[in-house]
Amino acid sequence: MVNGVRLQKTPSKASWWRRTLGEWPAVLFFLLPTVAVLGTFNLYPALYSLYLSLFEWNGLSPAREFVGLANYARLLASGEFWNSLRVTLLYAGGVTLLALALGLGVAVLLNQPILGQSVYRVLYFLPVITPTVASGVVWKYLFDPTQGVVNRGLLAVGLEGPSWLSDPSWALAAVVVVGVWKRVGFNMVVYLAALQGIPRAYYEAAQLDGAGPWQQFRHITLPLLAPTTFFLIVTALIDAFQVFDLVYVMTSGGPLSSTDVLGYYLYRQAFRYSELGFASAVAYVMFALIFVVTVVQFRLSRGGGQGEG
Amino acid sequence: MKANWLKAIVTAALALLSLGTAQKLTFWHYWDGANGQVLQGLIERYQKEHPGVTIEAVFVPGGELLTKLQTAITARQTPTMAISDLVAMPLLTRSGALAPLDDYIRQSNLNLADYFPGPLVYGLYQGKRYSLPVSASNLGLFWNKNLFRAAGLDPNRPPRNWDELLRFAKQIKEKTGKWGIELFTQGGEGTTWQTQVYFWGAGAEFLDANNTAPAFNSAQGVRALQFLVDLVQKEKVAPVAPWGLFGRGEAAMVMDGSWMTQFFPQQVNFELGAAAFPFAPGGRPATNMGGEQIFIFQNADVATAKAAWDFINWFSSTPVQVEWDRGTGFLPVRRSVANDPAYRAWVSNARPLMRPFVDSMAFAKPRPPVARYPQISDVFAKYVQEALLGRLSPKEALDRAAQEVTPLLR
Amino acid sequence: MKARALRTALVRLLLAGGAFLSAMPFLWMLTTALKPESALYQPPLLFPTHFEWTNFIRAWQAAPFPRFFLNSAVMTVGIVLAQTLFSAMAGYALARMRFAGRNLLFFGVLGTMMIPFPVTLIPSFLVVNALGWIDTYNALIIPRAVSAFAIFLFRQFFLSLPRELEEAALMDGAGRLTIFFRIVLPLSTPVIAASAIFSFLFAWNDFLWPLIVTNSPDMRTVQVGLAMFQGQYGVFWTLLSAAATIVTLPAILAFLAAQRQFIAGITNTGLKE
Repeated sequence: MVNGVRLQKTPSKASWWRRTLGEWPAVLFFLLPTVAVLGTFNLYPALYSLYLSLFEWNGLSPAREFVGLANYARLLASGEFWNSLRVTLLYAGGVTLLALALGLGVAVLLNQPILGQSVYRVLYFLPVITPTVASGVVWKYLFDPTQGVVNRGLLAVGLEGPSWLSDPSWALAAVVVVGVWKRVGFNMVVYLAALQGIPRAYYEAAQLDGAGPWQQFRHITLPLLAPTTFFLIVTALIDAFQVFDLVYVMTSGGPLSSTDVLGYYLYRQAFRYSELGFASAVAYVMFALIFVVTVVQFRLSRGGGQGEG
Repeated sequence: MKANWLKAIVTAALALLSLGTAQKLTFWHYWDGANGQVLQGLIERYQKEHPGVTIEAVFVPGGELLTKLQTAITARQTPTMAISDLVAMPLLTRSGALAPLDDYIRQSNLNLADYFPGPLVYGLYQGKRYSLPVSASNLGLFWNKNLFRAAGLDPNRPPRNWDELLRFAKQIKEKTGKWGIELFTQGGEGTTWQTQVYFWGAGAEFLDANNTAPAFNSAQGVRALQFLVDLVQKEKVAPVAPWGLFGRGEAAMVMDGSWMTQFFPQQVNFELGAAAFPFAPGGRPATNMGGEQIFIFQNADVATAKAAWDFINWFSSTPVQVEWDRGTGFLPVRRSVANDPAYRAWVSNARPLMRPFVDSMAFAKPRPPVARYPQISDVFAKYVQEALLGRLSPKEALDRAAQEVTPLLR
Repeated sequence: MKARALRTALVRLLLAGGAFLSAMPFLWMLTTALKPESALYQPPLLFPTHFEWTNFIRAWQAAPFPRFFLNSAVMTVGIVLAQTLFSAMAGYALARMRFAGRNLLFFGVLGTMMIPFPVTLIPSFLVVNALGWIDTYNALIIPRAVSAFAIFLFRQFFLSLPRELEEAALMDGAGRLTIFFRIVLPLSTPVIAASAIFSFLFAWNDFLWPLIVTNSPDMRTVQVGLAMFQGQYGVFWTLLSAAATIVTLPAILAFLAAQRQFIAGITNTGLKE
């Protein structure tokens, strides 16, 4: 028990440290790498980009023209932007909620000793691993108006399906389906990890009190997963606000901008149009939106989960 | 006499100097697969013939090359030379990062008149030339001979004008149930550059002569778009659907690029035909042209820049270009290549499908060389979609597109 | 009893259906990888009937893949180790320690995730260039040595850990370091596994950043190799699928290894209520 000895010996020293500096030395030690790396490679570039949002610049020309807030004004006056925002909110809402419910369901099922448990886990995680180009090809084929499985299935029950990806009223729904498909495996993994953190003793106690499986889920599992759920909602929203490759592969934002999410709108401004100043303004408006939503959630969930520690 | 003597000394000294100073050039390109291998082969030969020069060809995926050039230019970490899709050239020539080539061209007596004029425009900015075309491609008609046969059409006779195109398409739809023709309806540049062929074929222009205002909403433009809308809405011989029907045998005709003369034969299980794309009755033959341009960066020192030019000059020469085009299937950028007997014999024997594409170079047009072309293209494509889906009349769609395009040309 | 059996069967059926749907694009990729080019547009689409193994050899030889794998492996191992350790530390501090500006820092960390990558690319490149790291493993690893996402994941997990053990240790006078490394981390293997698999996927699949900060072909990663099959002039589907299958394999193996940590009841040791 070398450990135990050391534990015995340290108190006087530790309490001296603690009296004078509180937790600060430990806090600094735990956070130094994070602050250094995120500060240099994330925060600084982000502030630089904020500065760029005040210029008109194509990323190539030596001259940058200072335009003040004109990029923001242009953005807020652009119908395309408001359309993208609407599309993004629908996409984000749909994917976040559906994938959350499905991911939790799959995780709870696959947390039990089921035949082929690890095979199932791999299969449900495959969408996260599968290259987006391959996913795009297959889903486009599934949604094909005549050949596709989706419409053939609908036809079998007497319904005529739309030409999904080419129909402005249905394309977004199709893209949401693929977004959910890609997200479930991710949510499953995070929930699976979190489920391991719930002590079995809680369930044993509940069983002694005569609680059924649903009640156990409702009163033990769900509340204890709250911090994880907060994490999954926030990251799903962040991802949904920035999603680009999926839309690019499936619809290129069309038809008629019906799937033109903000991530794709931003991609076009930055990479296709080389409008880096304007793109930075778009990025900061997106940032403001997600940030506000996150803070509201943080407040509602009282610190993003039980207790603020 | 004395001058000649002096000249000889200087030349000898220069030769010695160039032997002493080994030149290392870096060259960024996006030629993948077989094209990249052909380039590598040519470079190796050049190095053998020019000891002291090494060229490191670096592959950068095509979609990211412009981004890579942006970061390199911003940080002054540019390679010696690079290529780019011609659409990005207006941005690059305005960047101040490229070296003007006019003096080199004059000194090397490179005959610019031998080049097809379309893509040459892309290298010009404020009276100076910054890039040269090194490869080309264009659009034409592919048709499925099996479906033509099944529909009772002569499998060896492609439509020559829009009337025939429509008639054939209707017959195919009627007899085989397959689509007559596939249009690229997914928007973006894919839609725009195909639609431009119809517009030009009907005698319409895309922008005005100075590239300062949209011209596509002319009577001819409306006629061209009306034709496309009719194919979809009235005659129902073309669907609004994801791209790829022709390859799967679901559509009998398609407009696609010269490079597909290599891909289609390996991928499809039907007999293929290729022809110049049909144009409107009373219109003119037309096709759209793409390709790459090569350029040198400002940062290179004089000797390195000269070495880079020497390579470009060699690479652009007719015999090397013949070899390049044969190896890659790119279309010639110079008339002397297109008319070269060996090249023509190779096309006829080895690549008969490519024949109409080579011939179409004579009337192929490039897209207008304007800096905001990508935005303009997206706006135009969006309104073409509006018309194809029957939400706006062709006239209305083009007028609205013109309204949105106008500020982008300022 | 009968109703219960029926319900179980239904659940199993749904689970299997969902699993098939999840696997479909991957199956398509495998099938395409085994097709000759001439059968590309022909069914079957999901289960191979052709076995064109040479596609794998051709794909492997089409680019210097051994070198790309080495680079990707070095980068991925570096990123996974650094992200897991540093993010767990930061997540712990944010979840358990009390200090002024904690929420501010937490939102700062979250905020870095909310700035879309396309607009920070050029500024980040300029930083790396100023440090002289272009074409080095430093540029591939250090800027991504910490992950805001992983910090957030760890923080949330630590919040849900019962704090009794730590409090007991604190009472005994143990320092934060001891508590973190000897008590908290051993209880955290599931979340470490989850975080590591996400770090792995992030690094292994990353394409644009490694491409931008490296110029030499010797420093390129596997994703750049894949891009070679998605040319300007059309996609080489059979070769792309073959190469993508090879490149995806390590990710699947990594997941298989990680998911073994998700065994119910692992945290029961030492936790008594």
